[in-house]
Amino acid sequence: MTAPLQPVPDSALVERIMAGDEGALSALYDRYSGMLYAMLLRILKDTGAAEEVLQDLFLQLWRGAARFDASRGSLGGWLLVIGRNRALSRLRGKQRREILPDPEEFSFEAVPSSENLEDEAARMQLMNRLRGAMAALPAEQREAVELAYFEGMTQTEIAARTGSPLGTVKSRVRTAMQTLKQWFDDESTRSTRRL
Amino acid sequence: MNRHVQPEDSDLYALGALDGEEKQALEAHVRLCAECAREVEAARQRVALLGLAAPAAAPAARVKEELLRRVRAERIPEMGRAVRDAEPRRGFGFGWLTPAFGVATVVFAALAGMFWMRDARDLQRIHALEGQLAEVQTRSQEIARASETTDKLLEMPGTKRVALLPMPGMGNGRGGVLYNAKMGMVACAGWLPAPPKGKSYQLWLVPMEGKPMPLHVFGNAEWTEPMAMHIAPGMEAKAFAVTEEPEGGMPWPTGPKVLAGAGE
Repeated sequence: MTAPLQPVPDSALVERIMAGDEGALSALYDRYSGMLYAMLLRILKDTGAAEEVLQDLFLQLWRGAARFDASRGSLGGWLLVIGRNRALSRLRGKQRREILPDPEEFSFEAVPSSENLEDEAARMQLMNRLRGAMAALPAEQREAVELAYFEGMTQTEIAARTGSPLGTVKSRVRTAMQTLKQWFDDESTRSTRRL
Repeated sequence: MNRHVQPEDSDLYALGALDGEEKQALEAHVRLCAECAREVEAARQRVALLGLAAPAAAPAARVKEELLRRVRAERIPEMGRAVRDAEPRRGFGFGWLTPAFGVATVVFAALAGMFWMRDARDLQRIHALEGQLAEVQTRSQEIARASETTDKLLEMPGTKRVALLPMPGMGNGRGGVLYNAKMGMVACAGWLPAPPKGKSYQLWLVPMEGKPMPLHVFGNAEWTEPMAMHIAPGMEAKAFAVTEEPEGGMPWPTGPKVLAGAGE
């Protein structure tokens, strides 16, 4: 029985990008474009817009690969944060005040390592389990979290949208996030045990 | 907020759900507390993972192709930067095209020879192949010339780079120009989709003084290949631009700018 092939680490691919290797960018695109595009499409609900943001993300990676510190950060996580921020900014328009901190200020160094997104099998398992965790939330809590995450709504805006009292919405979002944080903690423990 | 940020507040902030005084108080505290700033950053990455719960979807293959075209277009200015940094590099990123066209030439020649030996009925096809062969040879020579010009530009002091970026609302084309005013040499590479029917894209040099000077009229197809041009030695460029013009080009710019970039 042969051991499964280990994926080339993100850090090695980023180093190759810094040396001008388009093939490395192509490999990272193949690795992360699916999960990013799914998120962008869910937020923007427009294939053209999602494709544009996806391209811009990887172009930013090509231009700014030198900022990546592999020992401190997760490239997949960084792409998700920046991608979501850009998509929400585009969704809500520039006239609205900023929803989240400026993505340009976000540094690789500040992000602690997170889930293993480099390995396709592990990534797919995480996605499936996370969908299960979201589905297990009570419907009102799930709706509140999804409105915040995928539509960039604040608690006040969610209350207005759903017609629920603000206090009720706050309670729903807070409880849902506590549940999900516990889920992530458990998931992290499981991942550690598997190593 | 003087007390430390509670973990659940970090998550709510990262989710974008906080607003009003709650958000302002958290941000004010985080600016002064490195420990809580780290917690917020951790929450931001954790919360971002919720995006993985989105229904599965895959981008079209052309998205990646277009991304790689844009990356290649950006590499030309990078080469120019390398020259300015006194680290001469050879190659332009498309030198491989020359041998590729050489191979194509040989293949076409071989095919032409085969058809010649077969039958007089194929004479018409042979003429067509000869025409294609001539086109390939001409294009091969142009690309070789562009490659040679680029190599010279990269070695010459005083070579400048200009990135040609798309104007708002004018698509995703990209390009880059290397030019040396003293030598009167210009090389350009990039990507543009095919222009609208009845239109051509045209490259202009905008001098420090005077009217824009036409440099090149692109064909009717998608622009993917490099090109080299000569200008009057000593002509300093303030900017370069690509405009949309009536088919065949114009002596002065009349249409909207598609790409533009200023000299450094």
